[in-house]
Amino acid sequence: MDETIIAILRSGTPLVYVTLAGVLAQRAGIWHLGLEGLMIIGACSAVLGLVQGGSIIVGLGIGIVLCVLASALLWFVIEKLRANPIIAGLGLTGLGLGGTDLAVQAIYGSQASVNAPHGLPRLGPAFGEYGVLSILVVLMPVAVIAVWILTRRTRWGLQLAACGEHPFAARSVGVNPARMRLAALCLGGVLCALGGAELSMGSLQIFAYGMTAGRGFMAFAAVIFGGGNPLGATGAAFFFAIVGALGIRAQLLFGERVPPDFLLALPYVATVIGVWISGKLRGGAKAAASFGELRDY
Amino acid sequence: MIGYLTQVIRAIAFVFIALLLCGVIFEFAGFSAPLMFQSIADGAFLSVRAWENSLRWGLPLFLTALGVVISFRCGFFNIGAQGQFYMGAIAATFVADGLNGAPAVLVMPLTFAAGILGGAVWALWPGLLRVRSGTDEVITTLMGNFIAGLFLVYVTSGPLKDPSGTGQAASSRPIGEAYRIAATSSISPAIIVIAVLVGVGMWVLVNRTSFGVLSSLAGRNPIMVVWQGARLSRLGLAGFVIGGALAGLAGTIEVLGPIGRLSSGMLPTHGFTAILIALVANLSVLATAVVALFFGGLAAAGLYLPVLAGLPAAAIDIINAAIALFITARAWPKRLTGLFGSRQDAG
Repeated sequence: MDETIIAILRSGTPLVYVTLAGVLAQRAGIWHLGLEGLMIIGACSAVLGLVQGGSIIVGLGIGIVLCVLASALLWFVIEKLRANPIIAGLGLTGLGLGGTDLAVQAIYGSQASVNAPHGLPRLGPAFGEYGVLSILVVLMPVAVIAVWILTRRTRWGLQLAACGEHPFAARSVGVNPARMRLAALCLGGVLCALGGAELSMGSLQIFAYGMTAGRGFMAFAAVIFGGGNPLGATGAAFFFAIVGALGIRAQLLFGERVPPDFLLALPYVATVIGVWISGKLRGGAKAAASFGELRDY
Repeated sequence: MIGYLTQVIRAIAFVFIALLLCGVIFEFAGFSAPLMFQSIADGAFLSVRAWENSLRWGLPLFLTALGVVISFRCGFFNIGAQGQFYMGAIAATFVADGLNGAPAVLVMPLTFAAGILGGAVWALWPGLLRVRSGTDEVITTLMGNFIAGLFLVYVTSGPLKDPSGTGQAASSRPIGEAYRIAATSSISPAIIVIAVLVGVGMWVLVNRTSFGVLSSLAGRNPIMVVWQGARLSRLGLAGFVIGGALAGLAGTIEVLGPIGRLSSGMLPTHGFTAILIALVANLSVLATAVVALFFGGLAAAGLYLPVLAGLPAAAIDIINAAIALFITARAWPKRLTGLFGSRQDAG
């Protein structure tokens, strides 16, 4: 049982951080499909920063700076150049995937993965079996509650929601939607960097090309599933993580009879079902009507 | 006409900006940007062989991109071209492999039908979910891509596995010689004919039929379509299915032609590139043909980059991603209409 909980926490934590970033963007009215790219930038920076810079702090710092810069770039393209957020987000994802590959190849030549000498700080033996969990797993609930308070219990959060739902109303009381979106995206960039770092340094201590494997998109689906609520989205993210962990367990149990690829597909299938249910509950998704376009009025 | 020209100029300008951005990134990473651009030009367009390669990569992309054009024109963000492409390729391989030995006259039509159907079915379920229960198609088609990718891994290492395969990636047995429509890594008149026929067909569909008019109206002003008495859901579903069918056709052609077998992880960025092509072409069928050739050239050149410029093949992915980042921008020059420009919400 403990093993399963640890597995779920380990696979769920990166997803939750990235999901929170998606929630912030969603509340600002942005369909954020660049999460996958930001996540892999965070994962790559953490490992390369540690190996090249000698310290996990350097890795985390570089990851955060790069993710914030990439988020600002996305903001500039969709807000100032009025590009379509969905396509621009997919472009950012492609830049993240290709750019991290390029960075690894520029430093190490044709090498598929980079090993790190050690990972993020752990809880330690004092916590028994749970000692293998990284410090970011412990901080995860704090981040969830912080984002919940920020979005649901502060003036800033209400203003952010206004920018997403009715920008004209926000503007008419002197809130600048463009600036709010920039803040939401950049804050999301920090969270994505942490999520990526937990992915590559939490339990694996390795960076491999494309290691996010669609987690950023799954996080985006969790945002939709959770209806833009930080708690709901976190629950959805854990639902996907649980399905994934069950898939791995099922592989051990039924690996002989069921092809492993079918079990690997479970989280994606669960995502489809989750989005389908949430669509049914809320009477349809909003984005399709406007292609996820940013609204000014 | 002037509006159309400015759109073309704008698209080219943004592709140029994206290329410049990539040049800066590559210089920063310690590679030579001028050498890269020179290699791309050499590998894509500066010799007869290069043109053949550009066509080899460009024509399947053209078919998939046409599917994206139809689906986007209907107003649905079907970004599942990759999965539909895979499912078409898988279905076609099942038939061609299963009937291996039977006369080609019998096998070929069945293989093409299976490939087209495979792609169409993989587009049908997100379409049904979208029009029946309002499930967001962006997520379902994305997830469909991942599921189809895993299914491809499964069939190439399971039911269709080549027992004598020794390569790194699992793959199916080679398609029988009698069923091949082009030699490995090359282009053939048959593929060109198929592409031209489909291209003309889609041009007629978009520009000369009520479906074309209604679908592009559905993409811009769905309420108007309902007022006209057309069924929005049926239009949308047709868009999904045609999009999937064309992606499946492209998958079939790749399997029967240049690739010659099904292999796991084949052409992983095909669908994404097709979406880019459709957007750069501003959802016009004619422009899609030209743009597909350009991106086909980029794909062809990508194979030479590691040799000529010492760049990883991912360089082309980065260029494509940079183009994606900018291509839908509509703020400059000001007041342009286009796919997204005409969708401003009333204030």
